[in-house]
Amino acid sequence: MKYQLHPWLASNLWVLVALAIPAIFLIGALLYFTGWALAFSFTDLELVGRKAVNWSWVGFDNYARLFTRRGFLESLWTTTIFSFFSAIVGQSVLGFLLAATLRTQRSVLRGVIEATIMLGWLVPDIVAAFLWSATTAQTGLINNLIITPLGFEPVNFINEFALPVVIIANIWKGTAWSYLLFSAALDSVSREVVEAAKVDGATAFQRVWRVILPIIRPHIATNMLFITIWTFTYFPLIYALTGGGPGRQTEVLAIFLYKQSFMVGKLGYGSAISVAMLVIVGVLSLFYLRLLKEPK
Amino acid sequence: MLNKSLATAVAVFGVAGMAMPAHAEVSIMYADWLSSLVEPGIADFEAATGETVNAIKLPGEGYVERVALDLAAGTAADVIQLDSFVVSELASAGYLMPLGDMGSDWDQYQHYMPALLDVVSYDGEVYALPTDTDVRMLWYDKSVFEAAGIAMPWEPQSWDDVLETARTIKAETGIDNAFLLPAGTKQGEAATMQGFYMALLGADTPEDDRNRLRNWAEGKWIGDSPAIRRTLELYHDVYAEDELATASINYATDIGAAVREAMANDEIGILASGSWEFTCLWDCNGGPALPSADERNALIGWTPWPGSGLPDTKATTNISGGWAIGVNKNAQDPELAFQLLTTIFDAGNFGDWTVENRRMAVRTDIAASDAYASDAYLAEATALAADTTGRDTYPGYQVVSALVQQMTADILDGVSVEDAISEYHASLVDEFGEENVITYE
Amino acid sequence: MAREVMDQDRPSRLTALALAFLALIWVSPFFWLMTNAIDPAATGQLEVPQSIGIDNFVQALSGSAGRQFVNSMLIAAGTATLTVVVAISAAYPLSRMRIPGRNAFLWALVLLRMLPATGVIVPMYFAAQAAGLLNMMGIVLALTILNLPFTLLLLKNFFDTVPIELEEAAYVEGASLWTILIKIVLPLSKAGIAVVWFFSFTGAWNEFLLPLIFSRTEAGFPMSIGLYSAFGRQGSIDYGFLAAFSIIYAAPAVGVYFLLRRNMNTGFAGVGVKG
Repeated sequence: MKYQLHPWLASNLWVLVALAIPAIFLIGALLYFTGWALAFSFTDLELVGRKAVNWSWVGFDNYARLFTRRGFLESLWTTTIFSFFSAIVGQSVLGFLLAATLRTQRSVLRGVIEATIMLGWLVPDIVAAFLWSATTAQTGLINNLIITPLGFEPVNFINEFALPVVIIANIWKGTAWSYLLFSAALDSVSREVVEAAKVDGATAFQRVWRVILPIIRPHIATNMLFITIWTFTYFPLIYALTGGGPGRQTEVLAIFLYKQSFMVGKLGYGSAISVAMLVIVGVLSLFYLRLLKEPK
Repeated sequence: MLNKSLATAVAVFGVAGMAMPAHAEVSIMYADWLSSLVEPGIADFEAATGETVNAIKLPGEGYVERVALDLAAGTAADVIQLDSFVVSELASAGYLMPLGDMGSDWDQYQHYMPALLDVVSYDGEVYALPTDTDVRMLWYDKSVFEAAGIAMPWEPQSWDDVLETARTIKAETGIDNAFLLPAGTKQGEAATMQGFYMALLGADTPEDDRNRLRNWAEGKWIGDSPAIRRTLELYHDVYAEDELATASINYATDIGAAVREAMANDEIGILASGSWEFTCLWDCNGGPALPSADERNALIGWTPWPGSGLPDTKATTNISGGWAIGVNKNAQDPELAFQLLTTIFDAGNFGDWTVENRRMAVRTDIAASDAYASDAYLAEATALAADTTGRDTYPGYQVVSALVQQMTADILDGVSVEDAISEYHASLVDEFGEENVITYE
Repeated sequence: MAREVMDQDRPSRLTALALAFLALIWVSPFFWLMTNAIDPAATGQLEVPQSIGIDNFVQALSGSAGRQFVNSMLIAAGTATLTVVVAISAAYPLSRMRIPGRNAFLWALVLLRMLPATGVIVPMYFAAQAAGLLNMMGIVLALTILNLPFTLLLLKNFFDTVPIELEEAAYVEGASLWTILIKIVLPLSKAGIAVVWFFSFTGAWNEFLLPLIFSRTEAGFPMSIGLYSAFGRQGSIDYGFLAAFSIIYAAPAVGVYFLLRRNMNTGFAGVGVKG
């Protein structure tokens, strides 16, 4: 079918182009900065000192070091675990369950719960880090309220279970987004469709699995896409809470990147790490986009 | 070079054209914890010259990154507070102004101790003036020692003595951090200085720089040596073998606060740290929370770091660091900038600050002043400084230090000493080239 | 309808109880924040305050906090508004004109934006310096640039859901492009715009690194940097100040959320995009 521009648009073509100019300009700037970051990854540029001034091109050396030096692959694994459990399992599933159950609840309870999970989301990262280090400390809430009364020795959670603590803290902080998205999505499921299924004798499980989930599939995919991307590149809470440690236990890629770029000062290597992250997230996103596009 | 090509490209790109904000005549950039030295100096300068100073006080968090970026982009303030170990690095990149000529016209310049000016020099030129120096030692909690039945004053002669004491503490009191040896990447330079270096210096003979990170005679970084191996073994003993310290305290949300709290609660036996702790274990700026010197002496004690105890090694070790203030190479008015620097460091202001904060003097006139000389703690610490040494602050040190911290982090992770050191060696070669790295058998 | 979804004839007490329990767990970390904020002698330990007072809040509001609050507001509201205006102007043509490859382009931008901000911050800094933009304007522009890919994609998808027939009808009745935009398109995508504005606002409100390196003077610092003055004294944290300051700091974002909540619920439905 041949496409024709609507007349009110066609007669105002230049206005539309003019409207888009600021965005084109800013997007151009973004591409330009990204181009520089890409170029850095082929240099030995450093933050301070001699190589900040007299840097040179080093070809693919930085990329080779992703695999030959300790750090990148370990961090990639940590990031995968962190993203899978905190974003996909934690935030997504919990967000969906909350959205589904809260719909049946009175508005007071719903308001209170919404407010609490929103607070987690909106509290600054550094403060969230303090809340969680205080909660999991040996003199903290969990030990005082649960572990000690049960007769066990107080546990230093961050020392023993750093990664799980970080994962739980991130679930706590990030579930709000999935919740909001899913509760809006469930609102858009029409009552008739669900009722028709009920009349046909579908069980509750079947209704959710066969009717509701397929309808909100685009939301699920979008949610997965966004939270995977965000979690994969997430930095502040983990950095403040554990600094990537103890050792490298919670050193996700974003922290590895920050350390190499700003603490060691190797901007070139840091850029190579960020480009590699881009490629990984890109592949993941293509996967989600396929999920988004093809109905079964 | 980098910023020039970028600047041109940006101008072509068309963002240019907006005016820079109006600049004051002199600007200064410092971290908020140094305010008690800098701010009275600024006030004196403004009163004396009638100029206004554009003072940029920054949080300690992110300070180093901001300074590096500002200097690289040419937007740094005229006068800049710096950690002394980055001075040679920044000077080698041409960011700082040599102070020698202007310094010789300043009557108080002669009082600076030459050894401390060495630390802030590059290629024979002085590029910054130190604010203070420090020494490092093993602090111990007297009530923990009492509970563990260890005789005081405690005078360990070797690493084995220290480890043995720590094992006793752990067995008797059950505390998690019997011997807190700073490690890992989160506290940055503190892990290198308070932990790794102090051990390294006593791990092998000083001959041929065998107990250091750099061989100065040959001009090469040391990629593998018995001293580095022994130091890592010590970390392995403390963190993995005997579990005398927890890894997590080195990664706490606020490490300084975590250590201070643990110390106050008698949860640390021995703490490897520096001379500032005599105030900083309570409050660095000496607020109302700081008990009197006698009260503090009743709570904590210190002893010099012993050497490893192996033949030909040093009996005790020490390394000094400290902060400094320098002048930007591109300062609008270098004379005025230097005048601000000398006003901050004027004997009156500088001397008061040094004594009040129990900092170790970097100038002979302040060290000889009555207020300084009559302080028992400062006198003892200064005695320790008689046999001190500095970091291997050759350009590139910052990377080396970061790699050292990573090496200790690897040990916390359970990586073997062998693997940690081969990774270190490989990374040094990446950075400096095969020809600039040597190995000691 | 809700009941049909979950096959429950009435809200079960058990579910309510479980939810209340969950809320309790969720809110428990805030216990530390509250006790320390109202305890003038807070030590950072989890303990029942010896005395209760508002000293910490008074302290947190004195000094430069007022100015920092204004700066944060300017940065956050400025970024959110600029982002939304720029993105609307471009997303509408993108939605209505079938430019080949526009979806692929938008997704590519979103992906590109996945380059962590630390990766582009150095070139951005040099560019801002060359352009004389190391000030609040520069922070707003930089954050807007970083926000655009997501915003463009979301708003284009919102505009896609506005029925073209409505615009057609208005055109037939003689409405100009301007009138169509203001009277039809924007009101119908109000929810989406609210979501995007809110996201940009909270993102900019919490930004630390960009304002830190872009602000030439202390007077330009927002609250996200002011928060760190609680750690100022080389390790000696003022926990009471920290807790009170963070409550004040988090308040505007929470407030904005509840103001926009009604709008945003439907807005989020539009987030579910078709590729």
